[in-house]
Amino acid sequence: MAEIAVTQDEIMAVYPKVAETMADALGCDVEDIKPDVSLIEGLDAESIDFLDMVFRLERAFKIKIPRGKIVENARGDLPESEFEQNGIVTEKGLVQLREYLSEVAADRFKTPMKVADIPRLFTPTTFCKLVVRAQKEAGA
Amino acid sequence: MPEPHFAAYSFVDRIVELVPGRRARGVFAIPARVDEFPAALVAEAVGQLAAWVAMDAIDFRGRPVAALATETRFLADAKPGQTLELTVDIQECDDDAVAYSGSACVDGRCIIELVDCLGPMLPLGDFDAPEALRERLALLRGKGAPPGRFAGIGDIPVTVTHQVPGHELAASIAVPAAAPFFADHFPRRAVFPATLLLDLMMRLALDAARGPHALGRSPRALRVTHVKMRSFIAPSQRLDVGVTLDPARDGIARAMLTAKTGERVVASARLELAAGA
Repeated sequence: MAEIAVTQDEIMAVYPKVAETMADALGCDVEDIKPDVSLIEGLDAESIDFLDMVFRLERAFKIKIPRGKIVENARGDLPESEFEQNGIVTEKGLVQLREYLSEVAADRFKTPMKVADIPRLFTPTTFCKLVVRAQKEAGA
Repeated sequence: MPEPHFAAYSFVDRIVELVPGRRARGVFAIPARVDEFPAALVAEAVGQLAAWVAMDAIDFRGRPVAALATETRFLADAKPGQTLELTVDIQECDDDAVAYSGSACVDGRCIIELVDCLGPMLPLGDFDAPEALRERLALLRGKGAPPGRFAGIGDIPVTVTHQVPGHELAASIAVPAAAPFFADHFPRRAVFPATLLLDLMMRLALDAARGPHALGRSPRALRVTHVKMRSFIAPSQRLDVGVTLDPARDGIARAMLTAKTGERVVASARLELAAGA
């Protein structure tokens, strides 16, 4: 599945509503939501919060985001066996991940990186991109 | 002798309509002998009906455990002896989660509405025996289960540790090491039910709002929003509950409810209250 390109303008167009939705889900002020803040390390989000945010974003934007598949999406066209081995992201996988999460600062990609730690990289911008991709898929 | 399954915390007696994966209607007769049937348990009954539809839809691979509830509106009380008419509409259901809305009525009058609830699906075998649940669903869809097995929840020790009337309240809850409801919730892994915790937190919020500084003698809950269960609560765990009440505006006060184990927030919700009639 070819990755759908997302422009900065498209991200900024959905950002205000994404930030508002996230603040509501996390019980924080919208001012606390910054485009590049780590949702887990910066805003104490847990797995249930990710589920909550996806659910709210689906309703707010009238889109469908495959729940529990965000990490899978990050893999893109790379087969699972090439993306990770024994729960650790491969070199090839890291290249794909850096490309998919291009909004995340390079120094936040640790090596070795556990697959389970990928959500630690997610930011509000990551979710903006998910929303834009879902909108484009729906309109395709 | 072990506590029986499908007795102490099972709130669907019969499913009268089930459109697989889409919607269902069911009934639960509140035994006349119990002292009360709190609103949180009515919400639990609606959630349990949704859980049956969800488990059936994914062939009992998973079950919803814990929950998010965007909004629950409390319209009237349920009384012992009444029969709840339960309805759920499933918005989405797959192996990851079930999203639904629902309601409970008594004699055709809606007493509670649940809007946009979400239950993460977890491996069913970790919590219960899939075959036992299949058989139970067949019974519920057929002649129905014998009513009257619910005997009340029993005392759960709650100690208020701090209170500023009309503003805030702190309390500790000692989750029992054993209780009949753990036989249903769940046979293979005991989890303190989220709706019981919500009931206790709502009672504490009503206590905080009671009095001349706030909503008078008989405050009542209007709706609870942003209910989020963050982790399982095990038997014997101690919970620290906090209630923070904003001053009433236009006769409605808003309370922030949290439950923590240590520093970790395990559950949170926002409650709107008003003065009673």
